Amino acid sequence: MISRRGLEAATATLTGAFGAAVAASSVQNGIGWSSAGVDAGTFPFMTGLIILGGSLVNLALGLRADSGVMLGRPELKKLAGLFLPAAAFVAAIPLIGVHVAAALYIFGTLALQHRVATLRALTIAAVTAVSLYVVFDRMFQVSLPLGLIGDALGL
Amino acid sequence: MDNLEALMHGFTIVLSVYHVALMLIGVLLGILVGVLPGLGAPNGVSLLLPLTFGMQPVSAIILLSSMYWGALFGGSVTSILFNIPGEPSSVATTFDGYPMARDGRPTTALATAFGSAAFGALVGVVLITLLASWVARAALAFGPPEYFAVYLLAFASFIGIGGSPPAKTLVSLAIGFAIAAIGIDTVSGSVRLTMGVDELVKGISFVIAVMGLFGIGELLLAVEEEVPVKALAARIEWGEAFRTVARLPRHGWVLLRSAAIGCWMGITPGGPTAASFMSYGIAKRFSSRRENFGRGEPEGVIAPETADHAAGTSALLPMLSLGIPGSATAAVMMGGLMIWGLNPGPMLFIEQKDFVWGLIASMYLSNIVAVILVLLTVPMFAALMRVPFFIIAPLIFIVCAVGAYAVSNSFLDVVLMMGFGVLGYLFKKLSYPIAPLVLATVIGDKAEDAFRQAMLMSKGSLGIFFSNMLVATLVTLSILLLVLPLASRLLGRRSRKTIVVE
Repeated sequence: MISRRGLEAATATLTGAFGAAVAASSVQNGIGWSSAGVDAGTFPFMTGLIILGGSLVNLALGLRADSGVMLGRPELKKLAGLFLPAAAFVAAIPLIGVHVAAALYIFGTLALQHRVATLRALTIAAVTAVSLYVVFDRMFQVSLPLGLIGDALGL
Repeated sequence: MDNLEALMHGFTIVLSVYHVALMLIGVLLGILVGVLPGLGAPNGVSLLLPLTFGMQPVSAIILLSSMYWGALFGGSVTSILFNIPGEPSSVATTFDGYPMARDGRPTTALATAFGSAAFGALVGVVLITLLASWVARAALAFGPPEYFAVYLLAFASFIGIGGSPPAKTLVSLAIGFAIAAIGIDTVSGSVRLTMGVDELVKGISFVIAVMGLFGIGELLLAVEEEVPVKALAARIEWGEAFRTVARLPRHGWVLLRSAAIGCWMGITPGGPTAASFMSYGIAKRFSSRRENFGRGEPEGVIAPETADHAAGTSALLPMLSLGIPGSATAAVMMGGLMIWGLNPGPMLFIEQKDFVWGLIASMYLSNIVAVILVLLTVPMFAALMRVPFFIIAPLIFIVCAVGAYAVSNSFLDVVLMMGFGVLGYLFKKLSYPIAPLVLATVIGDKAEDAFRQAMLMSKGSLGIFFSNMLVATLVTLSILLLVLPLASRLLGRRSRKTIVVE
C-alpha cells in the first residue's frame, strides 16, 4: 500500500538521483569557460543542478503530502497485471524475436490472464503477428528483430 | 496580399490525389489514436514518424498534421459518448458534453463539439496565414542571444503560467534538457552523459521519450483507473446535426473569446489542454446560465472545444516561424522536420516555400475532411470502444514497442521506452507536466547552441542578454514569469494572514 507521501518522495528521490548523476557526469566534460567558448559540460551541469534543486523542493513538499493510501492492493495488482507481462514480452524479444513474442504475449494475456476462449485468443495472437510482419517488414521495410532463435534458423 | 498568393500556390500543391489520400489516411488514423485510450496525438504522430522518412517533406507533414487534427476530433468523440477523454485536452469537454449526450441528445452534443472545433481550427489557420510569414520576417533579424531569449521565454511561461506546481515543471523541463544533451555534443564533438553505455552515444530520440511517457504511462494510468464503459447510442441524425451547426452563430461571442484564448495558449506554449480548461472556466464565470454548466450546457461544450482546436492549430505558428513548438505534438512534428533535413525557423519561409504553404493550405482542407470523416465514422469508432480494454492494452503496447524499435533498429530504445513509461505514470499520477519535458528534449540542443554562440559573441559575458531592447525585454519578461509563482505564493500567504488578523 503506497501513500501519496511515499510516491511523491520516491519520485523526487528518483529525479534527484538522476540530476546528481547528470551533474557529476558533466564535470568530466569540463565546466566553465575556456578558449573554445563555453565548455561542453557546462549546460548539462547546470541542468543537473536544477534537477537536483527542484527535486529537493519536491521532496520537501512531498513529505508534507497526504499519508493516506493512494495505491491500494487492487490498484497495484492491476498495474502489475499489465506491466509484468509487458516487461516479459520486451525481455523475450532478443531471444525469440518480435513476432513470436508478440503472439505469445497476446495469447498469454488473453487466454491465461483474462480467460478468453482459447480459439479466439489464438486467432487474435496470430492476426497480430501476421499484421506486424505485413505492415512493418513488408509495407514499410522495417525488418523487425527475429531474435537469437530466428537468426539461428536463418529466417 | 503576398500571403494569399502564396496560399493559393499552396493549394495547387495540396490538391493532388496523393495528398488528399494522405489526408484521409492521416485523419482516420488520427481519429483512431484519439479514440483509443493510451494512444494520443503526440505518440500517434511519433509512431508514424519513422514511416515517413522516405517521403517528401511536404507529403510527410500533411500526413502527420492531418493525424493531429484527426486525433483532436477523436478525443472529443469518447469524451462525449463515453465520458472518457481520449485526449487530455478533451477532459473539459466531458463536463457538459457527456451530460448532454446522456440526456438523449448525443447528436447535438457531437455536432456542437465538431462545429465549434472546426471554427477554432479555422481561426488558428487564418492566424497562421496572416501572421506566420510576418513573424518569420521579424525573426530573420534574430541572432543567437535573441533566440536564446525566445527559448527562455517559452520555458519560463511553462513555469509561470503552465498551471502545474512550479518545482515539478522545472524538474520535468530540466530532465528534458538533460536527455537532449545525451550523446555527441554538436559543438565540441565530445561525448556527454552516456554513463558508460556505448549505445547512448547516438543520443536518445525524443520519439522514444514521447512513446514511453504518453503511451505506456497513459496505459498504466488507464488500467489502474479502469472504469466500466457505458456506451450511449451513437447514431447520428443528420438533420439535427445541421440544425445544431446552424444554431452555433448564436454563441458567437463565446466562440470568438474561446478561439482567442486558444490561439494565445497555442502560440505561447501553454498547449491545448490548458487552453480548453481556461476557456471552460472563463465561459462558466461569465455565463448568465452559470448553474446549467456541468448539466449539458451547449456553451460548456463550445468553449473547451473551440479553444482546444484553436490552440492545437496555432501551436504550429511558432514552430514554423521561430522553430519553437507550441505543444507536445507540435514538438514531435518539429523533430520530424529536423529528421527530414529541414531547419524549422524563419529560413523555412524563404528556402522551403512549397513546404510551408503546402502545409498551411492543407490545414484548411484537412480540417474540413476531419469534420466530415469524424461525423461519418462515429458509429464505427464508438463500436471500437466496446472492445474490452484488456485486449486493446497489449495491442497498444506491442505497437509502441515496435514503433520504438523502428526509430533506429535498437533494442535498447525499447527498454528505455519502458523506463519512460514508468516515469510517465509517476509524473501523471503526481501532476508533473509532461509537455515541458518533450519540448525540452526536442529543442534543448538548439537552446544550448544559441546560448553558447551568444557567449562566444560576448566573450563570456552574460551582459549580451541585455545588450539591446528586444533581448532585454524578452529576458526580463522571462525572469518575471519565473518569479511569478514564488511572488504569488508569498502574496497569497500575506493575504491569508491579513484575513486571520481581521
